[in-house]
Amino acid sequence: MVMFSQLRRCSITDEQGGRARLLDLSVALLEADYPPVTSLIFLKQKSQKHFLPWSAVQSFEPEDCQIQVENLKASKPLRQSSLGKDVLLGDHILDALVLDLQNRRSTRANDLWLETHDERLELRAADTGFQSMIRRLSGGRYGRMSRSSRYDWKYVEFLRGDPEAVRNGEGYHLRISRLPAGEIARLTDMLPYLHAAELITLLPDAKAVQALQALSPERQLQVFEELKEDQALALLTLMAPDIAADLLGRLPTKLMRSYLEKLPEKQSERVVELLHYAEDTVGGIMTNDVIYLRANLTVGKALESLRESLKEPAFVFIIYIVDNDKSRRLRGLLSLRNLLTSKADQKLEEIMDPYLTTLDPLSPAVEGAYRVIDSHVAALPVINKEGRLLGIVTVDAAVAQVAPPDWRTQAPRIFS
Amino acid sequence: MRKKSTPEGLEPVDALEAKSLPMAPRGIRSGLRLNIRGRSVHLRGLRRPPGGVLRWLAILGPGLIATSAGNDAGGIATYSQAGAKFGYELIWVMLILTLSFAVVQEMCARLGAATGRGLLDLIRERFGIGWALFAVAVILVANGGVTVSEFVGIGAAMELLGVSKYIAVPAGAIIIWYLVIFGSYAKVEKIFLGMTLVFFAYPVAAILAKPNWMEVARGAFIPSLRADPAYILIVVGLLGTTITPYIQIFQQSSLVERGVARRHYGPEKVDAYVGAIFSNLMSISMIIATAATLYVVGHRDIETAADAAKALEPVMGSSATVLFAIGLLGATLLAGAVLPLATAYAVSEAFGVPKGVNLDFRRGKVFFSLFTALIVVAAVLALIPGLPVIQLLVGVQVLNGILLPIILVFIVLLINDKRLTGDLKNTKRNNVLAIGTLVLITSAVLVMLGSQLLGLFGG
Repeated sequence: MVMFSQLRRCSITDEQGGRARLLDLSVALLEADYPPVTSLIFLKQKSQKHFLPWSAVQSFEPEDCQIQVENLKASKPLRQSSLGKDVLLGDHILDALVLDLQNRRSTRANDLWLETHDERLELRAADTGFQSMIRRLSGGRYGRMSRSSRYDWKYVEFLRGDPEAVRNGEGYHLRISRLPAGEIARLTDMLPYLHAAELITLLPDAKAVQALQALSPERQLQVFEELKEDQALALLTLMAPDIAADLLGRLPTKLMRSYLEKLPEKQSERVVELLHYAEDTVGGIMTNDVIYLRANLTVGKALESLRESLKEPAFVFIIYIVDNDKSRRLRGLLSLRNLLTSKADQKLEEIMDPYLTTLDPLSPAVEGAYRVIDSHVAALPVINKEGRLLGIVTVDAAVAQVAPPDWRTQAPRIFS
Repeated sequence: MRKKSTPEGLEPVDALEAKSLPMAPRGIRSGLRLNIRGRSVHLRGLRRPPGGVLRWLAILGPGLIATSAGNDAGGIATYSQAGAKFGYELIWVMLILTLSFAVVQEMCARLGAATGRGLLDLIRERFGIGWALFAVAVILVANGGVTVSEFVGIGAAMELLGVSKYIAVPAGAIIIWYLVIFGSYAKVEKIFLGMTLVFFAYPVAAILAKPNWMEVARGAFIPSLRADPAYILIVVGLLGTTITPYIQIFQQSSLVERGVARRHYGPEKVDAYVGAIFSNLMSISMIIATAATLYVVGHRDIETAADAAKALEPVMGSSATVLFAIGLLGATLLAGAVLPLATAYAVSEAFGVPKGVNLDFRRGKVFFSLFTALIVVAAVLALIPGLPVIQLLVGVQVLNGILLPIILVFIVLLINDKRLTGDLKNTKRNNVLAIGTLVLITSAVLVMLGSQLLGLFGG
């Protein structure tokens, strides 16, 4: 095991007796959990940075700090394009923001641990401790090696602070996408917005949407505007319509319109429907991604038709019973549990609960929110004058409405 | 809660059908009519920031508050001292400084918007840990010094109100620490800010004191240069208190906090400029008010806060001292809380350790320790018996002036790094102004250091 701060003091020699001091190392992040060192960067003739591939190394003795290569003259001058997607340990990774996934925090690497493995030198861990800072400052002379501040590189994600990097196909571990979306969102809260946007760009769409939904509205907008159009559209399509409406409603009119035009018709219509209602009304906090069924269906038929609609993200805990799909007049409601435990030949109208407490879309949002919270149910339906089911206000949206501002983004969203 | 005329939830929904539900729409806001997919839709739910006057208030507010809070104990002492010692002679410095201040503030705002990161963050990333530690040391000295001066200010203000500083300073420190750590600071902040409104009396005082406007104009437009070490010292003090390193860090991080994105950077420019001009107008009026009341009667050296309060007598008469004390207390409590907080934030950021007052102590050790240590050390230093209050306050500003060029060099280097700032990179004109400012400030500092050394050896 060797520290990068110590390696930087090493000299490179060749058979002809040439000498140079090692400046930096490049690694191929894309390749593996522990990225291999791909080239040596050193100064030649005082000012010009040159590089040699790691394959040119004949022997490497970490103890004596000696790197023996075939011929130093075979090196090429370092240009921006000469390393491809490889990343420089000293220039790029040291001091930059990295995510320490084991501790769910963002930090900065003071030093890096490398290890030789099968003829290769690999990046094994990032060191964030105080001792490593001393080691850096003293050029590797002082500072104990401490294991407690060392983080396995496998669980470290290096961010470049530029969403463009992801689109250029730079290397990432992507282990972060295994975390729950809420935790990813809290992690991005600790990051500058460009890093946050990079992270969201990096995630698979389904996870990215959940993480984006869990961000504060301001952060959401900042991150969203850094996305390219195709990804932005993909995320908007998957997003809960109420959150999509809040987000689109904050965009400049021209941009909002272009997204509404390009979204799949169903999602676009849902969003537009929600955008009819001002922010401080019940309509402004409701979602219209609900499951409703016709009252004259049998339980068996109902379960069959649910199979399709349950594939999409929607509020599934309560199923709303309407007279027909066109007028969508609300007749009653049914919990998923009741539906699953009823006999297949029973009609929905026989088992539904016809006693409804409903909300008016134009009444004040706070009032509606308290009614949802006080009624201790997962959601209350919102209907218009004609009794048509417009949507629901979930307890999550209700809590978010009445919670103190700094709690809002932390209030969990479980039902939507 | 809304009363329904129908027994909702008590009868099956069918039974209610006949009576339609009462639906009294409340005052409907006008929305936006848009044509989407060939259908004309009316959208009322657009979450738009307020327009018109409100929009500008929202944009200008934070900057104005930040800069007027910048007129803290050290600022008041330095401007008052400048006015008392040299009359209107130094106003020209303030005019040049207004331009420099505006340019620097705008650069910091732009750097914040373009990168979403704080100043120390960027220094760490671009120049490595060595330079970051150096910058942290500079910031700690500069901000630590100003924090001491705030606690000295708290002591001085309370002594004007008849409370011993040996009670007032520890009490102030405990109150600030408690409010920030236990989260009710945001509410109290407004009270502190409200107290500083007293200082809006300065422009009025400057006019009511009937200064010789010819003299004022001469001071403003005809630069005078003197080889007097005291004069040069005050000039550097003015530099240090106007373009404080702390204000720049604050400006940049406030943009980051507000979530200004690089795509929408623009109105903040106006905020930075207006803030700079406004705050310097306040400073100039302090100089004029003091010059017109103290300088003209030959009271050439301000030694206590009570002396400085005399400048407000044209407006407030006999209550000038009390009102001045209230204003000073508000300003110093405000800055005494914000400074250690901003410093702890910036330093934690540079070292990549968890930060924020919402953390528990175990997770935010570095952050809380720094915050607490700054307050404790500052309060203890402020209690040293027999401190020459005004000299100390001015001295801290001079120290800030000396450290300022270091921070400015970092800012100029960072804002010109295209990899970081992209399209928001400095323009040529910006660079000319910024580098001009840098040269001006550096030479002033060098001249001052030289003259002090000469004084030391020659005297």
